[in-house]
Amino acid sequence: MLLAQATPGSFDTLLQQLGNGIAMGSVYALIAVGYTMVYGVLQLINFAHGEVYMLGAYYSYWPARWLGYVPDAGEKPSVPLYIVGLLFVAAMSACALTGMLIERLAYRPLRKASRLAALITAIGVSLLLQNLAQMAFSADPRGYPQLVQQTSVQLGPIALANTKLIIIAVAAIMMTGLHLFVQHTRPGSAMRAVSFDMRTARLMGVNVNRTIAMTFAIGSIMAAVAGMLVAMDQPRLTPMMGLMAGLKAFVAAVLGGIGSIPGAALGGLLLGVLEALVGWQKPEYTEAVAFAVLIVVLLVKPTGLLGKTGREKV
Amino acid sequence: MRKALISLFVAAGLLVAFTAGCKDRGNEAGGGTTGENVNLGLFVSTTGAIATFGLDTKNGAEIAVAEINEAGGIKGKKINMVFYDTESKAESAGNAATKLATQDKVLVAMGAVASGLSLAAAPVFQANKIPMVSPSSTNPTVTEQGDYIFRICYLDDFQGGACAVFAYKDLGKRKAAILANRDDAYSTGLANFFKSKFTALGGQIVTEQTYAANTSDFNTQVSNIKGSGADIIFAPVYYTDMSLIAKQVKAQGINVPMLGGDGWESDKLVPEAGDALEGSYFGNHYSQEDKAENVQNFVKKYTDKHGKAPTSLAALGYDVVYFVKQAIEQAGEFDRAKVRDAMAGIKDFKGVTGTFSIDSKRNARKPISMLQIKGARFLPVRQIKPEEVE
Repeated sequence: MLLAQATPGSFDTLLQQLGNGIAMGSVYALIAVGYTMVYGVLQLINFAHGEVYMLGAYYSYWPARWLGYVPDAGEKPSVPLYIVGLLFVAAMSACALTGMLIERLAYRPLRKASRLAALITAIGVSLLLQNLAQMAFSADPRGYPQLVQQTSVQLGPIALANTKLIIIAVAAIMMTGLHLFVQHTRPGSAMRAVSFDMRTARLMGVNVNRTIAMTFAIGSIMAAVAGMLVAMDQPRLTPMMGLMAGLKAFVAAVLGGIGSIPGAALGGLLLGVLEALVGWQKPEYTEAVAFAVLIVVLLVKPTGLLGKTGREKV
Repeated sequence: MRKALISLFVAAGLLVAFTAGCKDRGNEAGGGTTGENVNLGLFVSTTGAIATFGLDTKNGAEIAVAEINEAGGIKGKKINMVFYDTESKAESAGNAATKLATQDKVLVAMGAVASGLSLAAAPVFQANKIPMVSPSSTNPTVTEQGDYIFRICYLDDFQGGACAVFAYKDLGKRKAAILANRDDAYSTGLANFFKSKFTALGGQIVTEQTYAANTSDFNTQVSNIKGSGADIIFAPVYYTDMSLIAKQVKAQGINVPMLGGDGWESDKLVPEAGDALEGSYFGNHYSQEDKAENVQNFVKKYTDKHGKAPTSLAALGYDVVYFVKQAIEQAGEFDRAKVRDAMAGIKDFKGVTGTFSIDSKRNARKPISMLQIKGARFLPVRQIKPEEVE
């Protein structure tokens, strides 16, 4: 009783909240690159991207269940590391296919239509996937196998779940890898070329359709990884889990400058930290942070922090 | 090609539109009694978002009906239970009430589980002067709908207050943190009742944290609780949220017990939370581990039939049928007004969810069972009586 007790205003809590925010922001960043890359090449906001994230979690759930790692009750078996790897590969490939399928079926037929038509289609695809998922997986929340035994890791005054540290590490590796891929490989150059000027890129011999499909595939792979990482950290899957995560990641992309991959990373981290800091002082306002940020960015600096102030491609 | 794709999307969209569930039609029946039968209505949701609650209630009620009919029925008449699925929707509850009152002409109606659905049905029964007994609607306004509306479960104000008494007196805690779902009236209601009782006792609420519905990352709130120096965390939320909260509390290295209400009860709580809730407490309508003979008989019968132990909703479903039986027997005849009067006067009814009396507001005055989580079991610690909280 006589020991001085920490108050919610203390420095340790601030550090702890920063840790929470960086973990949350890493997830936003992983999803946000999907928005930003698609916007970069098509100037389309792919609102179905949040659903791809949701599907990423489910795509790893079903094989895990099939292999017997999702008991309905009782002891949870521990999962060998190579199975975790296989589940990641399964979720990533299935999401890549889903992303490419969405592009092929819903967006490619509308590529020459007005941007508004494509945007409305994106919202439609998002609703369609949410409802299909509810039919296929049922609306009941599902648990998730313990791919990694959750433990508490103490870093100075900050205590974080090991799954949160995994999120931060994997997100950092994936984002760096993506950046290198886009900047230093031929397919990456093709993506940048298409993003810069689709018609000229086609004249220069870039296969535009294939490049766009690849953009969707890569964005979806990042979302799949995010979906699985979050499911490992917060084992509850619902068909609606992509809605809020998708919207917030979209805000992160806008904040960082939509079209810019480093911007998506920066925007994601900033949004996560900002949410945690607001939640530290006023937890009832955390949900509003993302939308307030969106309004402010659009009013003050619509191109975002790292976005290009360039010609308007309408 | 494009046409084919468009029609594919249209077809998929239509498929989504036609996802209405099947309706379970009730049995045909006549007035309050028909020949050798007495007609009792049951309306709970066995499909939709809260289907498991309704299914458990129905399973419990069916066991009671089978027992009573086997033992000769009520005053020589066998129970004919007329059942309607209220589909987790208030409109369906209203429709079921109208059918039970005007078409099936039941003597007494039992239901619903969710307070919102009970509130939709109560005016219909009140207007038709048919006694309605809710097994498990805890919102105070339900029985305020009229003098024919009863309930046999405790109310949220008592539940919240009892948790505060338990935390302060039994566990000796003085600094409580509250974590509630701000979009859920059940959660905020319990949080407020806990807060006023705990502070009245002399305890301190060191922090009040809330979250929005469908949150799955509670780390921000948990960090604030960690910084507040609380010695107990009161989290009146449903089990789906609780298992995630418990894990995140543990991951941040907080080692204080957690306390909650009947929303925690589920056989999924411990498998999903792992050992994060070991040693924590929650208040419930009854305990499966209660050594009383009637409880153990019921638990055994239910487990044999359904392969799992009865939840408190099943126990309340079982009790509501016996409660109605006692009311009819005390009334002496199959007359709705007399059954109502008998119900209002029931004293010391011995159910599996405890011994209770009906008070002047047609609510049950009954104890709450405080349980502790040990392994996968919920062990009874003690019962708290209404007198201790008032």
